[in-house]
Amino acid sequence: MNAPTDLRTLRTAVLDTSGRLAVAGAGTAAGWGGALEPVDAVLDTTGMRGVIAHNPGDMTVSVRAGTPLRELAAELAPHGQHVAFDAARVAGGATVGGLFATADAGPAALVHGSLRDLVIGVTLVLADGTVASSGGHVIKNVAGYDLAKLVHGSYGTLAVIAEVVLRLHPVPESTATLSVACTLPEAAELAAVVLGGPYEPAALEWAEGTLLIKVDGTERALPARVERLRAAVGGSTAEPDIWERHAALVRGADGRASIRVGVLPSRLPELLGALPRVSTTTAGLGTGVATVTVEPDAVAEAHRLVHEMGGTSALRARPAGTDAPAWGPPPSALGVLRAIKAELDPKGRFGPGRFAPWM
Amino acid sequence: MGLSYAVRREFEYTLSPQDVISDPVRCRAYECDGLTGYRVIPDLVLLPRTAEQVASAVRVCAEHGIPFVARGAGTGLSGGALPVADGVVISLARLKRVLEVDPVNRRAVVEPGVTNLEITKAAAPHGLYYAPDPSSQQVCTIGGNVAENSGGAHCLKYGFTTNHVLSVEVVLADGSVVTLGSDTGEQLGPDLRGTFLGSEGTLGITTKITVRLLRTPESVRTLLADFPSIAAAGDVVSDVVAAGIVPAAVEMMDTLAIEAAEEAVHAGYTVGVPAALVVELDGPTEECDVQFEQVKQICERHGCTRLHIAGSPEERAAIWRGRKAAFAAVGRISPDYFVQDGVVPRTRLAEVLDRIAGMGADAGLRVANVFHAGDGNLHPLVLYSAAAGETERAEKLSGEIAELCVEMGGSLSGEHGIGTDKACSMPKMFTEDDLAVMRRVRGAFDPRGLCNPGKVLPTPRLCGERPGKYKPHPLEESGVIERL
Amino acid sequence: MTTPAGSAETNLPQTGPSSFDERRPPEPELLADCVHCGFCLPTCPTYQLWGEEMDSPRGRIYLMDLASKGEIALDGPFTEHIDACLGCMACVTACPSGVQYDRLLESVRPQIERNVPREPGDALFRKAIFALFPYRRRLRLAALPGALYQRLRRIPAVSRMASKLPGRLAAMESLLPPVSVRDAFAGLPVHTPAAGQRRGRVALLSGCVQDVFFHRVNVATVRVLAAEGYDVLVPRGQQCCGALELHAGREDPALTRAKRTIADFEGLAAEYFVTNVAGCGSSMKEYGHLLADDPAWAERAAAFSAKVRDVHEVLAEGEPRASRHPVRGRVAYHDACHLGHAQKVRAQPRAVLRSIPGVELVDLPEAELCCGSAGIYNMIAPDAAAELGARKAENVRSVTPDVIVTANPGCLLQIGKHLGKDIPLLHPVQLLDASIRGVPIPRT
Repeated sequence: MNAPTDLRTLRTAVLDTSGRLAVAGAGTAAGWGGALEPVDAVLDTTGMRGVIAHNPGDMTVSVRAGTPLRELAAELAPHGQHVAFDAARVAGGATVGGLFATADAGPAALVHGSLRDLVIGVTLVLADGTVASSGGHVIKNVAGYDLAKLVHGSYGTLAVIAEVVLRLHPVPESTATLSVACTLPEAAELAAVVLGGPYEPAALEWAEGTLLIKVDGTERALPARVERLRAAVGGSTAEPDIWERHAALVRGADGRASIRVGVLPSRLPELLGALPRVSTTTAGLGTGVATVTVEPDAVAEAHRLVHEMGGTSALRARPAGTDAPAWGPPPSALGVLRAIKAELDPKGRFGPGRFAPWM
Repeated sequence: MGLSYAVRREFEYTLSPQDVISDPVRCRAYECDGLTGYRVIPDLVLLPRTAEQVASAVRVCAEHGIPFVARGAGTGLSGGALPVADGVVISLARLKRVLEVDPVNRRAVVEPGVTNLEITKAAAPHGLYYAPDPSSQQVCTIGGNVAENSGGAHCLKYGFTTNHVLSVEVVLADGSVVTLGSDTGEQLGPDLRGTFLGSEGTLGITTKITVRLLRTPESVRTLLADFPSIAAAGDVVSDVVAAGIVPAAVEMMDTLAIEAAEEAVHAGYTVGVPAALVVELDGPTEECDVQFEQVKQICERHGCTRLHIAGSPEERAAIWRGRKAAFAAVGRISPDYFVQDGVVPRTRLAEVLDRIAGMGADAGLRVANVFHAGDGNLHPLVLYSAAAGETERAEKLSGEIAELCVEMGGSLSGEHGIGTDKACSMPKMFTEDDLAVMRRVRGAFDPRGLCNPGKVLPTPRLCGERPGKYKPHPLEESGVIERL
Repeated sequence: MTTPAGSAETNLPQTGPSSFDERRPPEPELLADCVHCGFCLPTCPTYQLWGEEMDSPRGRIYLMDLASKGEIALDGPFTEHIDACLGCMACVTACPSGVQYDRLLESVRPQIERNVPREPGDALFRKAIFALFPYRRRLRLAALPGALYQRLRRIPAVSRMASKLPGRLAAMESLLPPVSVRDAFAGLPVHTPAAGQRRGRVALLSGCVQDVFFHRVNVATVRVLAAEGYDVLVPRGQQCCGALELHAGREDPALTRAKRTIADFEGLAAEYFVTNVAGCGSSMKEYGHLLADDPAWAERAAAFSAKVRDVHEVLAEGEPRASRHPVRGRVAYHDACHLGHAQKVRAQPRAVLRSIPGVELVDLPEAELCCGSAGIYNMIAPDAAAELGARKAENVRSVTPDVIVTANPGCLLQIGKHLGKDIPLLHPVQLLDASIRGVPIPRT
């Protein structure tokens, strides 16, 4: 086990080890993607933590990749700022680097996208010890290739993320959630009303019989907006902890496989209805992205169905002892993916097996 | 040297003779884009009509090892569409169909030659719009926006092209066709869509683009405020941000830029004031009203000398017409000018503008400033007269301004791109290792370097062997390595 | 090493003597005004059709610059691409840098006419056009029902062309709608007194094509002006103002006509010289500039141009006087290029139309795009013109108007050809005339 504490020791750790390496953060997504093949060493990034620079006036912060996002949030809170990102794992201590490498996202993606939309700079260490940065500390920047995007969703197979620069948003003055008890098809109809109107929801999720509509705003304006929304869709104001329960559903349960699927929002109810042996569902009706827990042996069938509807699917939690496939049919750009892997990690050191059987 | 007759015939056979321009006089119309200081006459200009024809043309290029440069409307300001000698230009101007507007899923599928504004026009009947709005939106194409990751006045709140493009169909340098991204923007593995966005045409040619559309905001409130100094206007921006407001847009113009814009479009700006600020808020009416009141108070607190609130869509359009015409309008107050594009952290705006004013005074040249104050993206316009022999001095000053932005923790470019213009300056912002890794990425997409060669990444042939300005490597800073 | 930066000048080197002759070549300063930003591309009809840089205003200016720097010759591609320009001047409206493409084109077209020999067919055809259109008498003959071909052959230039290129005759014919004998030969009163208290006195250019094919528009114009309080003079013996020739680069005959028109009008005791034809108005407003170098005419031309007004400018100047009867319906207004782009007269026609109670004024999509008429363009480039005409007709239909109005005979003919007869197509003053008189709106 190697436990670097900063860029320098991380690079040393990569250079001082030989053979295959796995990158580990807080372990909240250790089983995501393809099953890791045997490695010669594990790089524990949780020692690389802490803010490097926070510029409140610029609303940017640079952090070491092993920093748990909830720790960062606590540091930013006194400034009235936050990273507008709420993946379910954050509560479990997930690190910024881990969340980034797994392309995770939560309900706030409806407005703010995933971390790829919030990271403005990155410093990476490649398998040969090369240190490379792209982006910087400014929100607007088109100089050079965006290497951050390349490692977003790379599951530790291309480079180790050492440092990340994030853009921040003001914490909303006020926030409220309406909850409407309804079936998924009913929720889809209500979602169309919400998205088709001037309500500007901050999140729009259906989970196990309840549609949740979150609205952010100013203290003065929000009550009227919530009233307007209630007049349109009904429902009642929910307690804030409803989102914690939502996150727990997304995190899944032991013994179940968890899959994240994405399809055109209008086809999401149809897809979710067709998936076999589903136990729980959380569905982003505006984004078209849903997380479902299924019996492990239904995963392959789920991948096939999603692919048939032109969607994307990726295995999240894989129950111990099962061999549910992480990925469905490969994307058309598989050749490019392989070429990038060959360029950046020609010896195949990082994260072996994560994209099996594609590469 | 030039391409052989046989190769030309092959292109003519692949497309049609009418879609291949070989006459040297006609080809000259393609020798530069919006940055006219760099010119290279292409051997051929290809005007395919379909995505399949683009792929076929690229396959011919691949077979013969011919470099190619994609071109949209040719409005780029960094020479990103500069042709390559003995190469071909592939114009996407004829791929201009809006293939689909899907109001239910709030997205549109378009061909690359569609202009940015046409997407919004196609979406408008459904109460939707395409958010990124570069100043040239009525002419620049979405394909070019994808290549440059274009921003616009509203990107502080709404983000850039990369945040609004869900998927792209791309012809790679070997002529194969792949799709990057997906209908939801969800990715399978590394974010290749995001890697491609903003790669300035060096990784492939886009032939189809799926964009996200946003619902037209219920309310839009726009004000134009005059200030007795740039610093006062800058303080307003800081206070607005500190109040937790994310404006849809915050734009600043200085006295010269105001003069030029007003002369061009008579939009109601006050000629002679040191600084004008355009602040726009949008969203649900209740929120807009509350925050707009706050913004007005902040303006007044900082000594605003005139506060003009757009009272109608026409007045709002006039304010924006003035702002968006500012670049080209500077041609009215100066025979020649250089357009610069740099970024600094917003909190350093006042400082950098002071420095620029000083540098301008030292060089004996006027500098007009138009900028996106919300995100620190500056557009200093260095005015000069070529006839009076000021060109070299102006070019030097403009370059120094870009370097200053990097020194201040910013970037060489916020939206115009690196292209040909700034490729040789990249070492000022990036280490050799940074650039080497970018080259490896390029190699993965296009191992033979046929796709828009000579752009973005510096090459010895392009820039000479002279090393860039010293910039400490992150490892030096952390003490791992030393440089002699 | 300095960081280079965006240059806004072309910096094209002078590599040889200019390819233009010394008679009013495009001014280098005007060429240098173009910063190559491309804002003109979306409004250029030929760029819209073909998507080729050389057939855009930016590309054409670039070619002019290259010719001026001695890099390329005038014959061949240069002439082709300048010829392909409709001269609609939508680019002048779109240009944020204030490039005077109108002036550039005005100086380049005569350069081509003087220095580039046209291929024989083209030369014959152009000669025939200019032997017919500027002549009211010949047009009248041509306009009479039946046996067009026979009558056109009485004009020698047309006869020569017709014997060699019979197909081209059809293109010309398509521009000449049937017209009644009475209309073709009708005249206008020399003096029509103002109704009620006199506001002023104007002299009307009756035009050539306009007077033969759209005599009814002239009649309506005289009535409306009189009803609004203007004495209207229509000088006898007036001839073509030279617009068609001017816009085609036939500078010498155009200037001859300009001088004659000035002489016909300048002595009249009228505050304004009024036209209801967009193309004529734009050329007459240019006389001052065109004759600026001619010491005998410079002052007279400038004085003349200063008094030229489009009829809508006059009508919109004061409050409406004559009472209007309601005209209920959707009225689509098409900006004629030579009115909107060349003269920047856009608000006035709309104001005039809004003065009619009941009118619901609608704008057209792609309003800035030329309908393809463009002087003689639809005769010399029928394919491009037809595509633009069909596109304009489609845009007209998309707003489902009850009436469409436009202030140029070329546009009326071109749009009428592509739109068919189901929607009445009028000059705005015809609509106003009907409203003032309280009669049903005419069908044509």
